[in-house]
Amino acid sequence: MAEDLVLDTAIRDWVLIPLSVVMVLIGILRYFVSKLMRSSQVPDPKIVKEGQVIVRARNLRAGANFIAPKSFRARRVYFCNEENGLLHMPKGQAQNAQAQMFSDPNMAMDMMKKNLSMIIPQTLTFAWVNFFFSGFVAAKIPFPLTQRFRSMLQNGIDLSTVDVSYVSSRSWYFLNLFGLRGLFSLILGEENATDDTQRMMQMSGFGFDPSKSLGAEKDSLDIIQHEWALPKFEQRAETVLKDLVR
Amino acid sequence: MVTKTEETQLNRLENQVDNGGGGAWEYLCLVKKLKVRRPDKVLRHGLSILNDPKKRSALGPDVWTLYEQVSIAAMDCQCLDVAKDCIKVLQKQFPESKRVGRLEGILLEAKGLWAEAEKAYSSLLEDNPLDPVLHKRRVAIAKAQGNFPTAIEWLNKYLETFMADHDAWRELAEIYVSLQMYKQAAFCYEELILSQPTVPLYHLAYADVLYTLGGVENILLAKKYYASAIDLTGGKNTKALFGICLCSSAIAQLTKGRNKEDKESPELQSLAAAALEKDYKQRAPAKLLLLTSALKSLKTS
Repeated sequence: MAEDLVLDTAIRDWVLIPLSVVMVLIGILRYFVSKLMRSSQVPDPKIVKEGQVIVRARNLRAGANFIAPKSFRARRVYFCNEENGLLHMPKGQAQNAQAQMFSDPNMAMDMMKKNLSMIIPQTLTFAWVNFFFSGFVAAKIPFPLTQRFRSMLQNGIDLSTVDVSYVSSRSWYFLNLFGLRGLFSLILGEENATDDTQRMMQMSGFGFDPSKSLGAEKDSLDIIQHEWALPKFEQRAETVLKDLVR
Repeated sequence: MVTKTEETQLNRLENQVDNGGGGAWEYLCLVKKLKVRRPDKVLRHGLSILNDPKKRSALGPDVWTLYEQVSIAAMDCQCLDVAKDCIKVLQKQFPESKRVGRLEGILLEAKGLWAEAEKAYSSLLEDNPLDPVLHKRRVAIAKAQGNFPTAIEWLNKYLETFMADHDAWRELAEIYVSLQMYKQAAFCYEELILSQPTVPLYHLAYADVLYTLGGVENILLAKKYYASAIDLTGGKNTKALFGICLCSSAIAQLTKGRNKEDKESPELQSLAAAALEKDYKQRAPAKLLLLTSALKSLKTS
């Protein structure tokens, strides 16, 4: 390394600090805006019921051996019969979640709101950072790093000769965007921190289909063998009592 | 379910708070978390916090949940004025809240104004038809009025949607038993055993119901469940031991003359009797004579 770059203190005062402060303020603002826009969800009775049916069917599957064969068979018919069993889904009715999402305007609206509160400020701040602060070398990390960090730390500067430990202003923006969660959870309270990465995860895992899990539960309930455990319990009780009496 | 460690922690904290050692807020939090019911203590310590402006402001926004907790405890203790004051404060803070509306309904119930409470709940249910607490309160109103058929009706309606709620099943089972509708109660207990197969109390209650129903088949079944209750409690449950004795003698009586079916566990009755005698000898020697005569009459009959 020949000589170090000298960073102007004005860069610190006019780029580094304003950028961080603005990121924090935007995060807080976004929290309050999303709080304003959040509509209280009224759960759909059908979905609640389906969830409960699944729990109960699972209980039946797990505890089947604890009830008499007759009771078990009655319950299985109740859950699985082809006419009006709780787990039975008529073919036509089993619409997929995607279609349901589009048919329900409320749901789409909620998604829109979530997306808006996430994407719009991000694009705006990114444009703002690009416009005012592009091309600055804003900070220096006090330890050396390998070349692979170049794309992470020197986004926006296409110079291969600059040492990797220098951070460009655009990279500083990204670091703030993803790294301020801890600070937000301090300021706004533990569970209020707006976490973009987590929210993205939620978005991708959205296509949950209750009818599919109903069908799966029905299949597994159909095939289980009922082995009544209670007769064994009499012998076990005998051994327990033998130990006790002795 | 409250585990053993949690219970000891709770009791320790309660002792500390009762003796003026501080930690009242932690105690109240723990009570709420474990959902145990200690209204008198909650009322006393909660009020000591609420009446002290400095402590109250130190809680920040948590003070509102404390108001809620204290108001419910006050209603449990029939301190309706205190409850009313708490709810008033809450209402001032959250004028449109359904949670406060629920509290008001409960206050009406505590006063015994059933019709008004019912009306309040139904209007709340219109906004939010899936609030389990509201459904349960309606059942409670019917039960408090002694109107068991209505309570059963509400409970069934509730369970149609919330069918995995075992507490509701248990309530329904107990109501059925109190009305001597044993077949229905048996179904509820089966449901309970399914949801929590390792709780011996459900096995025991189910066995009781089956024994009461009568008939060889049911009593054989009852004996099996008494046996499982013995196994699950390690033979410590006196009622289950008595149940085995009663079932065995009933089976012997019913199958007299016919070839005996009960070959699976011939020793169970004598073992249960022996265990009972041992238990009585240790813990209630004065009543041992009573027991032996009772067991003898079971055997000879």
